[in-house]
Amino acid sequence: MSKILKFFFKLFRIAALIYGILFAVFYFDLDGKFLYYIWEPLMIKRFDNMKRPDATAMPYSMKESVEDTSI
Amino acid sequence: MKDLVHIFELEDLLQEANNPLVRQAKADGKRALGYTCYFMPEVLLDLPGCFSVRLRAPRSGSPDMATYYMTNRTCMYGRCLLERALEGGFNFLDAQMATETCTVTCRFQEHLQLMDIIKNPDFFCEFTDVPFKKNENSIDHYENQLKFHVLDKLKDKFGIDTSDEALLKAIDEHNEVCRLIQEIGSYRKLDEPTITGWEFSVIQLCTLVCPKYLIIDKLRDIAEQLKTRKPDAKKNYRVKVVLTGSEEDDPDFIKLIEECGALVVADRYCYGSLPGREEIVVKEGETPLRAIARHYLQTSECPRFMDQHIMRERKQFLANIAREYKADGIIISQMKFCEYWSYERTIDTLVIPRDFGYPVCSIEKEYVNNAVGQLRTRFQAFVESIELKNLQKEG
Amino acid sequence: MAFGLKDIKAKYRELFVVEKSPEEKNKPKDIKKMAKDFWYGKPHEERRLGDLYVGNTGLYKHREWRGVKDTMYYFNMIWLYNYAHMVTDIMKYGGGPQGVVTFAKGTMRYRWMGQTYLTVMHWFDRGLEGTRGEAMKASAWHYRGMVSETIRQFMRMFEADKKLNGGEENETWKKTIAHNETLSGNIFYGWRDQLDDVALEMIPYFVSVHVNNHTVLNYIDAAQSIGLPADPCPMCQAEYGLFVQDDYPDYSPVMLTTNEACDGSVATSVLQDWFLNRPLYAMPQPMRYDDPLVQKNCQKEIEGAWKFVEEHFGIKMDWDQYVKHAQSFNKLTEFEWEKWDVAANTPYYPINGVAQALYRIYYSQDGDRPIWHEMDAHVKRIMDKCVKNKIETFPKTRHRAIAWSCAPLYYSNWCTWAYNCWGINCVINMDSLMFDQYLRTDTYEHALEDLSWFNEKAPMRAMAVGGHEHILSLFDYMERFNCDMVIMYDQLQCKGMQGIHGVFEDEFRKRNIHAIWVPHALPDKRTVSRAEIRDIINDYMTTVMREEPLDPTLLDFDDGASW
Repeated sequence: MSKILKFFFKLFRIAALIYGILFAVFYFDLDGKFLYYIWEPLMIKRFDNMKRPDATAMPYSMKESVEDTSI
Repeated sequence: MKDLVHIFELEDLLQEANNPLVRQAKADGKRALGYTCYFMPEVLLDLPGCFSVRLRAPRSGSPDMATYYMTNRTCMYGRCLLERALEGGFNFLDAQMATETCTVTCRFQEHLQLMDIIKNPDFFCEFTDVPFKKNENSIDHYENQLKFHVLDKLKDKFGIDTSDEALLKAIDEHNEVCRLIQEIGSYRKLDEPTITGWEFSVIQLCTLVCPKYLIIDKLRDIAEQLKTRKPDAKKNYRVKVVLTGSEEDDPDFIKLIEECGALVVADRYCYGSLPGREEIVVKEGETPLRAIARHYLQTSECPRFMDQHIMRERKQFLANIAREYKADGIIISQMKFCEYWSYERTIDTLVIPRDFGYPVCSIEKEYVNNAVGQLRTRFQAFVESIELKNLQKEG
Repeated sequence: MAFGLKDIKAKYRELFVVEKSPEEKNKPKDIKKMAKDFWYGKPHEERRLGDLYVGNTGLYKHREWRGVKDTMYYFNMIWLYNYAHMVTDIMKYGGGPQGVVTFAKGTMRYRWMGQTYLTVMHWFDRGLEGTRGEAMKASAWHYRGMVSETIRQFMRMFEADKKLNGGEENETWKKTIAHNETLSGNIFYGWRDQLDDVALEMIPYFVSVHVNNHTVLNYIDAAQSIGLPADPCPMCQAEYGLFVQDDYPDYSPVMLTTNEACDGSVATSVLQDWFLNRPLYAMPQPMRYDDPLVQKNCQKEIEGAWKFVEEHFGIKMDWDQYVKHAQSFNKLTEFEWEKWDVAANTPYYPINGVAQALYRIYYSQDGDRPIWHEMDAHVKRIMDKCVKNKIETFPKTRHRAIAWSCAPLYYSNWCTWAYNCWGINCVINMDSLMFDQYLRTDTYEHALEDLSWFNEKAPMRAMAVGGHEHILSLFDYMERFNCDMVIMYDQLQCKGMQGIHGVFEDEFRKRNIHAIWVPHALPDKRTVSRAEIRDIINDYMTTVMREEPLDPTLLDFDDGASW
């Protein structure tokens, strides 16, 4: 067997393994489980603790020049 | 203060939509034209041969039938109107001049179209489209709409004279009412007002729901009396407030506020006079209809206007009223389920105290006011908080 | 805390093991049947899809086995294909590999991004549950189109976003038009070669609710926390909350807004003005839109919007660009009509209720984009095949339903469930029928005329405003689409629909129509849960229709905490 064939065979085996793993991730909904149990709680924690400016502190009056955009 | 002349008579007129003056006008052969919104110019409905009646549903209880049709998740004003219509309370109407200016009143009026509710063979319901801006394009549009959907319909259906001469006459008569209301209302600007908010609201409401030619003399008498009316020797209120917000046609609600020590000196709400009772000016070279269209768009401060500068001016307008009427605070009242005023109230509650320095009491209420106890507590607390602030300022 | 083998086993069972019913356990093994089920997938009545869920999470113990062919298609052409394309789309729309960095920055900055969009494959799963063959394929292409366009939009926003770029007003910021999500993208066709238009709330709020409805609750609560009552339309409330939480990207020097679809949209214009504090143009459309007299006003407002864009960006509107995109969009419209024809008159329509509803509302609101054409080409091939070969795409259909009024955003896939459980095939829905307008381009006047009509027939308002006859057109559409059942959405905070509730009740009775009222609160699942919606339909089907479910495991399950 030539080296090239062996290489392709190895490549095929690796690809098949990755494909198999991906299929397992798909079939057992491991992506969903990861996102639900690990990712989302982390994100919730992050966004709940994020410092946010008080948007309502923005003045709202005629102080800013506002054009009459009517035609 | 001495009782205002005619005030109890006027109060009686508010007890039902088909009041004695409406009946008298009908007996005089005039057509009764119902409407719900400021955007239906009452001056057009007061042309010779007809008269305007802004619809109310006084002494409403639980609007059960209307709740079947409109559920309990819509504004109670719309439902009470439908209930009253279903009860036969609006059978005196010859037409409903409708506008699609807020959803629930629109649906109420659509029910009048869809179901055979008004037992009057001549009855019809006609919708007018009202623009959301105040620009020239909107005025053109509004003028066209008023011509086609109001004037032409009145002419075709009831033979009403809609000529420019007739319109000018109607404007004159309308302006006289406006002048009188402005004059009567101006006594609220005094350091010690010589008219109460309740009295004013009764008078203003009567001008909306009664044929004007039958109440104008009464308004003149009231204006005359106010020239010499003296305030009570001992001040019987603690603070002065502006009442602003959505639909409000219940003088007893004003009375409730005043019983808590807050004199209502300005009425910036639907059915109020600020805006609402400004004279219509016909400019040179302008047709009367054009003047009317321009007037109603330009004077309105309805939260449905969307031009950027108008949205901002609206806040300033409210603050200006508070200043002009020497108010100590502002009560913002929103009819529950009113979409426009839900937002307007929330924003005003945040913006007005901070950007304009007026304390605000923000409330949500029903058309049939059952939560008197809670509201009384809110208003009393508001009055006390203003007094405390004033004391702190003085200190 | 000790975590023993027992706990691991229990967790494993909870997450991965599908419990068999006692009857199934006691059944003798039938190898031939097992092999057949493996190869072709189980017959509809034996699928027991409800057993696949992990508790109340909506996750699957394992994804559905649809037979070898369909499972492999789903794995390769839906799951793998979409995950891979999400990465390539991020790079494509993010200007190369640096797009991944921009994406990561957005993911870490915005809740609606970080918490929501990565769960997108579950959105596919929920919508495509139980589908087979051509129906699965065609519906999935529609989903793919929406995902790609969503990525394009958020990548544009992130690239331009001042908040992600240290407050810098970069070139992309200067060349992006922000507009209300209910203002159609077709207004901006004249600048599509030089500027880009991105709806402000479409991605942060509207699409995100469908993908993962957890996020939106934060925004609704934020809006109410500063005093907004709970009764206004929760869609508008959520938009408000985005501002309150400072969770909107700052990607444009201007804002264009509209009064579509209701009073709430008008009211939120003030919020946009307040919080964005930049030049804002409102482009309202008339309410009584059937009236020939209102058209001029609408057209002038569109011209006003064009003038506003020209002035603020210093770029003239390019008529040729407009024509190009309007004509291109007409092709989408033509195909939509073709789809309606097949849906109305044959059992071969390959798109399920949720894909139909979401895709239609998304692309017609968004306007002409290459991805829609690409997707339509795929779907057309499938649809033609179904018609030619007479493939019944939803063979278990017992009732052809039309869904009317606005749908529950947190449960737009209710129709997938309804078909799987009861054989209720939601053939068409109200929002699909809006924007029903061809855009002429032969003259400027015709173009403007049709454009104004197009916008007057926007979602919800096409049916819900301008006269009761519009909303009551349900009965004509019911006939046109050969439906025998109405799913009547009852959006509890929609004043326009609540205001005509009783008339519908009367009409249903008078016409002897089977109508199921489905209460909901648009994005907010807390008001009426998905389980409650299912209960209402179950009750109607058992007590009024006296029918047996196709899949009894779907009658009662808890998905309260699912996306």
